[in-house]
Amino acid sequence: MRQYTPYDLKKRLFAFAAGITFLFLCLFGRLVYVQLIMGRQLQTKAAEQWARDLPVAAPRGLILDKNGKVLAGNSTVYTVYVRPREVDDKRLLSGELSGILGIDAEELFQKLSKNVSEITVYKKATREQANSIIAVGRKGVYLSMDIERVYPYGELASQLLGYISVDNRGQAGTEKFYDKFLKGIDGKILSESDLTGNRLEGTPQHYIPPINGLNVKLTIDYTIQSIAENAMQQAMLIFKPIAARALVMDPKTGEILAMVNKPGFDLNDIPRDDLDALNKYSRNSLVIDIYEPGSTFKIFTVATNLNEYLKGNKKAFSPNHIFSGGRTRVVDGRIIKCWSNHAGGKHSNQNLSLALNNSCNPIFVDVALSLGKETFYDYVEAFGFGKVTGIDFLGEGTGMIVPQNYAMAGDLARMGFGQSIAVSPLQLAAAASAAVNGGRLMQPYLVSEITTKDGLVAQRFYSTMVGNPISPEASRMVAEMLEGAVSQGSGRNAYIEGFRVGGKTGTAQKFENGRLAVGKNVSSFIGFFPANDPQYLALVIIDEPVGQSYGSVVAAPFAKQIFEQIIYYKDLKPVS
Amino acid sequence: MADRGGKGRGLIKDNLSGRGGSGDLALMALVFGLSLFGMMMLYSASNYSAEREYGDAFLFVKKQLPGFSLGTLLMLFLWRYPYQKLAKFKYVFLAVSVVCLCLVFVPGIGIETLGSRRWIGFSAVSFQPSEIAKFSFILFSAHHMAENKEKMGTLKGILPVALAGGAICLLIILEPNMSITVCVGLLMLGMLFVGGCRMRHFAMILLPALALIPVLIIIEPYRLLRLSAFLDPWSSPRNEGYQLIQSLYGLGGGGLFGVGLFNSRQKFDFLPFSESDFIFSIIGEELGLFGCLLLICAFIFYIYRGIKIAVNADTLFGCYLASGIVMIVAIQVIINIAVVTGSIPPTGLPLPFISYGGSSLMMFMGASGVLLSISRKG
Repeated sequence: MRQYTPYDLKKRLFAFAAGITFLFLCLFGRLVYVQLIMGRQLQTKAAEQWARDLPVAAPRGLILDKNGKVLAGNSTVYTVYVRPREVDDKRLLSGELSGILGIDAEELFQKLSKNVSEITVYKKATREQANSIIAVGRKGVYLSMDIERVYPYGELASQLLGYISVDNRGQAGTEKFYDKFLKGIDGKILSESDLTGNRLEGTPQHYIPPINGLNVKLTIDYTIQSIAENAMQQAMLIFKPIAARALVMDPKTGEILAMVNKPGFDLNDIPRDDLDALNKYSRNSLVIDIYEPGSTFKIFTVATNLNEYLKGNKKAFSPNHIFSGGRTRVVDGRIIKCWSNHAGGKHSNQNLSLALNNSCNPIFVDVALSLGKETFYDYVEAFGFGKVTGIDFLGEGTGMIVPQNYAMAGDLARMGFGQSIAVSPLQLAAAASAAVNGGRLMQPYLVSEITTKDGLVAQRFYSTMVGNPISPEASRMVAEMLEGAVSQGSGRNAYIEGFRVGGKTGTAQKFENGRLAVGKNVSSFIGFFPANDPQYLALVIIDEPVGQSYGSVVAAPFAKQIFEQIIYYKDLKPVS
Repeated sequence: MADRGGKGRGLIKDNLSGRGGSGDLALMALVFGLSLFGMMMLYSASNYSAEREYGDAFLFVKKQLPGFSLGTLLMLFLWRYPYQKLAKFKYVFLAVSVVCLCLVFVPGIGIETLGSRRWIGFSAVSFQPSEIAKFSFILFSAHHMAENKEKMGTLKGILPVALAGGAICLLIILEPNMSITVCVGLLMLGMLFVGGCRMRHFAMILLPALALIPVLIIIEPYRLLRLSAFLDPWSSPRNEGYQLIQSLYGLGGGGLFGVGLFNSRQKFDFLPFSESDFIFSIIGEELGLFGCLLLICAFIFYIYRGIKIAVNADTLFGCYLASGIVMIVAIQVIINIAVVTGSIPPTGLPLPFISYGGSSLMMFMGASGVLLSISRKG
């Protein structure tokens, strides 16, 4: 050091140099730790943010009718993007795109003039529009492909088919119940991107292809569904009810051939922003809701009696037994009347068959009371009431039955003709099928097959017998009596010459807030043909018809219309 | 006392040229090397975002060029300029610094960015007065201490240095700019230490300064958040911890040898301030631990040569001046790397010669010119 200082300058400079050296060593140690020891872990975490995986939606499986007609399918739509910086002439491009897509050119030009990296110009462009854009071939325009769910028949079977959410997951109906088959497995495009997700140029892309969803083949027959839809649409126009419903099934197998709830809604235009409307119109009431069936339930009182009679139960009535002709019965101190006034010899000298033709309530009171609570309840249960049928649809109603322990004689008497009990329409149809098909209770079902896109069967669903409430002989007798109820009784509006239609009408009262709602009825008819070997069974329910109320007038003609058109469609020949 | 031209009598064996010679040309080469390397890394760190945001990948490099050019001229001039003559400007520079630091608060001249007033100037020409203030302080205190070496053991002797340093710190913390304040504070302590301040006087300044830290934290609560983010960045990966995590991703991604020059992934907008305060992270990612070590060695070499120049300076003023310049480089390099590696709470401080920032580059090159001048005993 050239100059004197009163302290040791060298020492201080050394101390300074030593301090700095120490700090650099610390930093170097830290670098070794971060870059080498933590390195791999940091790299893994960093890699997560560097890669962007763009999902590639798997095409959703189709929903087909039993003949392979597409009821829910897919169509390809395109989203149009523009990267303004790459566009040579924004004015020209705005004009061209507005011509192809039908959007405002000036507005588009304004958008393109903003300093943004990418704008979405149009969503859901058609294939033709996309092809036109490709043909023009301007720089800076990009297309991306999306798949959109399409229901070719709009409102047809809307509640049964259901719908999907905006992210392609089944939200209701078959779309939801079979979502795990329909949804497929989404693919991915893995690419390198910047912070905001823009793909880096010149980096590799990895494409993991999606796997198509499986197709779901329904037991529904499109033509029969259409026939039933038309019939219920007419019922809506003629009787202006709050709802018109029809269910057609194969009574021997349990296959549902048609399921109609009117009013419905267009599946291609779902009222997603009006939840009340959506919930109301998308409700499959035939499966979910329950109602008091009224006289159609007499089928089971008759079936129970005949089966017990054939088994030798002395409390059961012989088919030839002539019942008392009185209009009223007194049960538990309360009077139960027939709907008819019994004047002028009406409803006199009736056996069981005639009582069914006339739908005479007192006779069914006699039968139910005579059989007794235990026997009657055994059969109610054997026919599947009070529990779900097990159909492949979510939210099935179980019905309401007075618990056996609490049931009074009055309850039993009313159940004999279909009051004091609530069932789902589907339960009723399944039970009626069992009553006329030889006594076999079949589980109703909607889907027969799950198939791959190439038509290979991945899973097959078979018809299943879940109970055997009555004997074939008893069933034959029930069918014969119900045939009489159509040919000679209250169901004559469903009579078709030569096709042996059997059936039973029902006119149930409605209750609101625990009181009888005067003038509000549920008019129904359950029918089948041919009676000797039932192939088709239909349940028609008209909820609150205006002007008319009897099931024989309101519901039976539509069942007839459905049957006639099925006969024409299937080219069936008269049996006798 | 004077022993001009003597060889081998300094602390370190003297192989520098004598008065009027060329000075430490290796140091000059190192400065150019560091600055050019800095421009290359600046391009690498900023080309993607510059292209995306402004349509010009070289934008930041172009904006750095005037700083580099002026810095080169300044360095060459000061290299040839007798450093002793700088002494007469010490009050001028100090006054200019203080005025400029005050001008920061004048609307129309001061430029506010991100809630701080750190710049003055107009659209095209702007600079950070604190960059000038650092070096003005070094000049002032070096000369004061050399002139008053006998009094440096007394409070009266160190008072002017402490006052000048304290005033500059006060003005900078008002901007507010915590990191430069800490820098100048450490610089002041370093100067006093080298200048022969007694340890108890040293403590009298150091302890109140340390006591101020909690006060500063209370005034600006965001500093506490930064402190917690430093302790566990993954507790707030999207907010306070984000930048540190991204910085560590960059360093960690580099490993031993890096992902290769220009191949950084973090520069794709992931790492904020990748071109300025966090450029070391990009260097670590592209060139790995190996590259980091080389760069640190370059800085150590700079500091080593600087201390050597101080030791062999022909005057005490030159010794203090060289020490001050070495100190400010060392302080900034150490703090910057410590921040980037998550060793201390995050704070924004450029890496000398490398980070984006024209005034910073120019001043460091100019200061290196002074070092060169001292080395040739001008």
